[in-house]
Amino acid sequence: MNISPNKEASIGFNAVIPFLTILMLIFLMVLPYNIPLISDIMPLLTLIGVYYWSVFKPEYLPIWVVFILGGLQDILMGSPLGLMPLLLIVVQQFIFFQGRQFLERDFIFNWFVFVMLVIGFGIMSWGISSLYFRALLDYWDVLGQILMTIAFYPVITWLLGLTRKFVK
Amino acid sequence: MKKIGQKFTAFFFIVASIALLLMGRSQSALIEQTRAQIFNAFIPAIKVVDFPRGATSSLSDWIRNVAVVFSDNQFLREENANLKRQLTEATELEIDNLRLKNLLNIKDGTLTTITASRIVSDSNSPFFKSMLINSGTNDGVKKGHAVVNEEGVIGRTINVAANASRVLLLNDINSRIPVKFADSGVNVILAGDNSPLQLIEFMPEEEKANIGDLILTSGMGGVFPPDLPVGVVSEFTEFGGIRVNPSVNLNRLNYVSVTEYEIASFPTLIEEPVETPPQNEEVEE
Repeated sequence: MNISPNKEASIGFNAVIPFLTILMLIFLMVLPYNIPLISDIMPLLTLIGVYYWSVFKPEYLPIWVVFILGGLQDILMGSPLGLMPLLLIVVQQFIFFQGRQFLERDFIFNWFVFVMLVIGFGIMSWGISSLYFRALLDYWDVLGQILMTIAFYPVITWLLGLTRKFVK
Repeated sequence: MKKIGQKFTAFFFIVASIALLLMGRSQSALIEQTRAQIFNAFIPAIKVVDFPRGATSSLSDWIRNVAVVFSDNQFLREENANLKRQLTEATELEIDNLRLKNLLNIKDGTLTTITASRIVSDSNSPFFKSMLINSGTNDGVKKGHAVVNEEGVIGRTINVAANASRVLLLNDINSRIPVKFADSGVNVILAGDNSPLQLIEFMPEEEKANIGDLILTSGMGGVFPPDLPVGVVSEFTEFGGIRVNPSVNLNRLNYVSVTEYEIASFPTLIEEPVETPPQNEEVEE
């Protein structure tokens, strides 16, 4: 996706909002909820955040910010460092590769594309984690997470939509 | 040209992510220290975000406690009477035990509670089972300390910062805890596999396990003190594996204790010089 020079110049403070919203989603993912099974089906909130901002305001979510946020998520979650940056950057590149087709469609189409993405994300996350631990991890575990992420997509998107109003 | 530049940047960060993964796999000390510094810095922010959830949870707990206060009171009175009786018996047994240990010259290790900590964050992932607690090197916590609560074993510290530590839970795929069967004393290993039930490894073929068998820490390895409750045998897999239900409810953890166990040191045996008769001594006739 091309970013025009004048847009690049006006990034400044606006870029803070996507960063802060995704940071907040990371915090929400790592809180100790004390609810049975929640740890196995926690929705991938940061994926929703990166998807949303990469589609609607890609100029405010540069790749290095995704890298830092992904790394931070790994550090706070205790997952292998590099896993989340890798997966989130691949997702962002996929969106950029598709271009503005996303923006020209409606919410249902966006959601449908997101479903495809989250399935791919889940499979990749399972595959890389299995390779990392040199053990075949249970792939059923990630299914609950995928379904919850799909279910949470409208809510998180709506909340991010509210914050988007502050981004010029 | 700009597109090529963007693709190159993406390629660079993808390679950087893979490099981080590979470095992390080799347990790089630098990576571990960096991780510790960063999660230590973010603990206050997580606490702020967690405040509404914590307050709501405390309120609901308070309401629940008030609702059951009368029934709890009756139950606790009866339990108190039972415990007093058991305390007398236990004291007698402890004196006997100590006397017998002295006779056999057996020395126990020392168990020290380093600190009580609050759980600040959870992995909340199906593949990684760990949590952050709000105690670190400033409280005396070190890497490899055992983390327990009144119900039993929770895990051990794997990465320690100044004011926070990461605890690897006993159900994580990387967790291995030396345990034993309480009845038979057979030493085995309890392995986590990210599922709610843990797996017994290295069970001798001639030994048998039964549903309900109590599993305790064996004390081997020096991380966990011996005889802490770990769980009970709850099911057998179709391939003959033994699954253990942990005694700790990992979904209801709020506070934990970090403990240090020191194995008893034995006095080293000093070889006394053997007295040899002088070679050139004349034999008296």
